[in-house]
Amino acid sequence: MSQKKYGIVLDAKNCLNCKACTVACKFENGVEVGDEQYRIWVAEKDLKGTYPNLRLDFEPSQCQHCENTPCASVCPTSATYKTDEGVVLIDYKKCIICKACMTACPYDARFVSEVHHAIEKCTFCYHRLPEGREPACVETCPTKVRVFGDLNDPNSKAAKLLAKHDTYQLKPEKNTRPRLFYIIK
Amino acid sequence: MTLSGMNISRRKFLAASGGVVATGLVAANLSTLKAVAGGHASAPTGEKGEKHIASSCEMCVNKCGFFAHVVDGRLKKLNPNPKFFKSRAMLCARGNAGAEEPYNPERLTKPLLRVGERGEGKWKEISYEEAFKLVAEKLKEFKVKNENRCSVAFASSEGFQEEIFQYLVQSYGSTNTVRHPTLCLSSVIQGWSSVYGVYPDADLKNSKFVIMFGANRAEAIVTPDTIDFVKYKPEGAKLIYLDPRFTNTAAKADKWFPVKPGTDLAFVLGVINVIIKEKLYDAAFVEQFCDGFADLEAMIAPHTPEWAEKECEIPAVEIRWVAREFAKAAPAAVAYPGRRTSWYVNDVYFRRACAILTAICGCWDAPGGICPKASVPIKNLDPLFPYFEMSDDRIDVASTVKNKLPKDKRSENMPTDSVAYLGEKDGSWLRFRDAIIAQDPYPVEAMIVYKQNFIEAVPNRAKTMEMLKKIKFMAVIDIQMTEVAYFADLVIPESTYLERWDSVHNLAGIWPIATFRQPVVEPVFGTKSMFEIAGGIINEMLKLPELWDDADELEVEDFKYDVVEDIFGKPMEEYIKRQLADHPGAYEQMMKEGVFYLSDQAVYGKTRNPEFRFKTRTGKIELANVKYADKGLNPLPIYAAPRQPEPGKYRMILGRHGFNTHTGTQNNEYLWEIQKENVIWINTQEAKKLGVVSGDYVTVKSSVGEQQVKVFSTEKIRKDCVFFAHGYGRLSPQLSLVYKKGASQAAILEDYLEPISGNAAMHETFVTIAKA
Repeated sequence: MSQKKYGIVLDAKNCLNCKACTVACKFENGVEVGDEQYRIWVAEKDLKGTYPNLRLDFEPSQCQHCENTPCASVCPTSATYKTDEGVVLIDYKKCIICKACMTACPYDARFVSEVHHAIEKCTFCYHRLPEGREPACVETCPTKVRVFGDLNDPNSKAAKLLAKHDTYQLKPEKNTRPRLFYIIK
Repeated sequence: MTLSGMNISRRKFLAASGGVVATGLVAANLSTLKAVAGGHASAPTGEKGEKHIASSCEMCVNKCGFFAHVVDGRLKKLNPNPKFFKSRAMLCARGNAGAEEPYNPERLTKPLLRVGERGEGKWKEISYEEAFKLVAEKLKEFKVKNENRCSVAFASSEGFQEEIFQYLVQSYGSTNTVRHPTLCLSSVIQGWSSVYGVYPDADLKNSKFVIMFGANRAEAIVTPDTIDFVKYKPEGAKLIYLDPRFTNTAAKADKWFPVKPGTDLAFVLGVINVIIKEKLYDAAFVEQFCDGFADLEAMIAPHTPEWAEKECEIPAVEIRWVAREFAKAAPAAVAYPGRRTSWYVNDVYFRRACAILTAICGCWDAPGGICPKASVPIKNLDPLFPYFEMSDDRIDVASTVKNKLPKDKRSENMPTDSVAYLGEKDGSWLRFRDAIIAQDPYPVEAMIVYKQNFIEAVPNRAKTMEMLKKIKFMAVIDIQMTEVAYFADLVIPESTYLERWDSVHNLAGIWPIATFRQPVVEPVFGTKSMFEIAGGIINEMLKLPELWDDADELEVEDFKYDVVEDIFGKPMEEYIKRQLADHPGAYEQMMKEGVFYLSDQAVYGKTRNPEFRFKTRTGKIELANVKYADKGLNPLPIYAAPRQPEPGKYRMILGRHGFNTHTGTQNNEYLWEIQKENVIWINTQEAKKLGVVSGDYVTVKSSVGEQQVKVFSTEKIRKDCVFFAHGYGRLSPQLSLVYKKGASQAAILEDYLEPISGNAAMHETFVTIAKA
């Protein structure tokens, strides 16, 4: 059993909504061009206030790699599975595109990939990790909004950030226990 | 936005980009794209294995370093270079999307000779050799006919191989070169240079108080500023942002002031007034380094914050607060210079005022202030070219055509038939075009263009088309069928930046670094670089004696050796080795790491030395510019109120975003999918008055043209102005993703000039808007 527990801590106040991460992800993971096809995204929150007192926030997001995994629970072929480090992956060969996981996911993180003929989503760039490389979105970000790391390693940058800051998670009421932590400003 | 969790169409990030989604178009285009993507999935070379090659980006001007991940001979991805500290080891959306450029299904692959009417899109494929011969023949033809080499003009835009293009120009001997600065930053260069003798950088990494004027750094990416102003903003530091639009930079700012367009100068004068009146300035710095303080003090007296408030609509109490905080933070305070400053007729005076505010507070050449650019010492080859007799003064200098100036007090005492400080190689695009149309004082009948899409870049597109009627032959070198290429007679494809060698360039700044380019993949379509194209044309030119009969024979012989043989006759690697020859190991480091530098630490204070002589007339920092007085310009940044749109009209303002560069990247599908067409920002209340809602189409009309564009009704803009992004509403069918999609700025912008630096004044156009 691996001791590693991968997660991402995000400081969204530094996000410029520049889309570097989403384009990097498409190339790294061979995601096709198309409005329905994306593993990660940057949500522009509703503009608050009226002219000239305005506020605008951005919220980068993706598959939450939930500890309590609704997508895996509903998968009839066990195509969706979790690694020892807690990364949620899909075995494309087992996927029958029944889309049950797409319905089950509270974060709308999954889509049908014509490249893989399977459901696809963020993998934390799992293929990069053995080489000691960060996920493509983390690496390319101008302001390094996402910090990826082993949350079980108290010396990792991610664990340190998590210890230092109050954070929130998306849709806590779903009891999914996401591995993405957003720093509260 | 809340994440609904519903399995409706996935629209989370699309909703972000401007509020309007062109769903119909998306669906229509998608199937074609997929077909195309399938078509270029295979490796072109048969090569096996993986490699990571260091090179640098050309998707915008920043030239960020990357490692290209190449799998089986095909470029898979561009990853940021961790050693490229100038860009803080990042790669933006465009930088990432660059990996598509070599494989773009619509890129130019073969030289094309026009066979139909201009703009009809009928071409014949010819070889590079035939193209080079044709260019050389045409260069001869116009030289012989007009007995003036200036009858051929050369247009180019910024880039590593532009120096090679300039070698071609110098081999021919025309003085008529025209470059991008007068559509961009010539006024900010002139404004700051008129005070310090140089155009400096801002140290946003250490600054405690920053005022940005319309420089939308969150979206208009400039490295390292875009990263530093957010990521490295010191604890407790403040960002003050003036812009008629609530941009993403406004969203990051501590205070956003929706300044009345054209009045930023009044705000700065108000700030200077407080600082001088309350004696908050750095008296010792002023005494030691500055000249003209007494003149400034006298001029500034009436410009109280109360006066400024009436002009710029920013409350006097805020102006006072800004002034005091700025002075308190000095020298770690920044009045940000900016980059694209082609705004108003008096832009140079506004930039001067920012430079003066910086000077009186001593925010110069110190951590967190404004600093002169440093550079990495790279050997400049600087070859000698023959002097040709049959040449003349630049047409924009020699011509007496009148400058188009807005009719108000700002235009008083401005040059009416010349540019006060015209860049020798840059020229001034608007005067250049007017002079060609007037054929005054001599005819310009041919153009050689390197990657400058001036049909979409220069305000008043109709006038550019009029200019092209005078141009009997136009050859364009580019990677894609831009509008200029589409209306050319000969199109010569260049290799993309990922397929060629580019010489070493020093990226000057507070953290100077040198970089270069090497091919990460072989040219996918067998195209050539500008280096090979220029070399090929020059070889053909040498076969035509008429091209060399007005030059000294010995000089031509030297040229054949120094330029033709020694530069063009050798591979670019040799050129690069010579550039780095002074630094043992630098070439190897460059090849491996893509960078060369002496230190990654900033050095401050070299010019804060009593012995230092600034490059100004007095050798001091000139608060009052001595040369300006000689030229009949005001030595101080005097203010006059800008004219305002009459009822029913709006001021068109421009701005950048991080998804595209000018008009060069919209046909890249990875960028196109972020923003598929542009939308016009209209204040919510004004949209209501006009009876339009987001998604409606409106006709935007100025005195020079009209365009149809989709409405984005928003609180994020003042009521008196409108905005839409650059690079849409295109005329070239071979940019199919954006062909006739959205609106073109050049089509409706009027061609007002800022006549001190020769910059275009692109925020002076008033438009009407009506439901289409």
